[in-house]
Amino acid sequence: MNLLFPAHRQQVLAALLLQPGHSLHLRELARLTGSHAGTLGRELSKLAQAGLLLRSDQGNQTRYSANVQHPLFPELFAMFRKTHGVVPALRTALEPLAAQIALAFVYGSLASGSATQHSDVDVLLVGSVDFVAVVQALYPLHELLGREVNPVVWAPQELADKARAGDAFVRDVLRKPKLWIKGSEHELEQLAGHWPPTGAAA
Amino acid sequence: MSLSNLQAIGRLQAQPPDPPAMAKLLQAARQNLADARVEQISASNRFDAAYKCIMQCAMLGLWANGWRTSTSQPGHHQTAIQTLDQTLGVPKPDLIVLDALRRQRNVNDYEGDPIADATLRACLQSADKLLGHTLRWLQAQHPEWGLV
Repeated sequence: MNLLFPAHRQQVLAALLLQPGHSLHLRELARLTGSHAGTLGRELSKLAQAGLLLRSDQGNQTRYSANVQHPLFPELFAMFRKTHGVVPALRTALEPLAAQIALAFVYGSLASGSATQHSDVDVLLVGSVDFVAVVQALYPLHELLGREVNPVVWAPQELADKARAGDAFVRDVLRKPKLWIKGSEHELEQLAGHWPPTGAAA
Repeated sequence: MSLSNLQAIGRLQAQPPDPPAMAKLLQAARQNLADARVEQISASNRFDAAYKCIMQCAMLGLWANGWRTSTSQPGHHQTAIQTLDQTLGVPKPDLIVLDALRRQRNVNDYEGDPIADATLRACLQSADKLLGHTLRWLQAQHPEWGLV
């Protein structure tokens, strides 16, 4: 995708195309994409001129949304869903089980940005949710995202015990980048407690 | 993919059913499930034993239908598990879980990821269910082999 679209354009398109029917104000978009409002304004004008985005003026605010009538919309939507839509898709698929899930995040190559076309989506869930229910809820995403989804479910106590015992897998996961579906880094650290740094004597 | 298409791409080979060979594999599957219930060993090895039982049932499904996987081809576990709906009539939702367990086995075996209690529980339940299903299928479809 980096080859096809400049970074800012990718973020704007992902934010708007993945929420068709939803319109965003320039400042909201700047915050979401971490870009400068001036640069972003020019980008949005170009995309609106090309017909990919719709502009609507509400009072003194200009809002932008995806133009779902554009002939390329279905193809662009599918492309962005596969590259930028992993977390929203996982959140939606796991929604029916949310009450039994305390924390959920994507780890591995997709989270660290080193994914190839064959990389699986590695998902770690902390909670009391049934593994079989998770596997069946996530199965439809294989086709949607064009990737296999590989979930693991850890009970909170099990994960805390492993972290305390200095388990190499848990340490590795704690340290590496994550894409959050539910919860936050802070909550995970609280659960895992403190663990000795790598190389420290146990 | 259909079994004959899998044969066309070299994933499967035809092989007439051999009841004594199947009896041996069935015995191994039972032993592996029993071993998987031993609580004194790690979750990882218990999972491995339960997964072996699943794989052996999947192979039995192919053998009983006159097929075998080509060991010269990669992915013979995948082929055996993903054809269970065609060989033993395993329902699709169960097949999805068995295939997820196959991927867990790969990250456990080749990357050292530990097996969570929830994964072990699911693997034990799935192995037990599939072995029971395999025995009932063999009894119903091929009582003449006297395997059950």
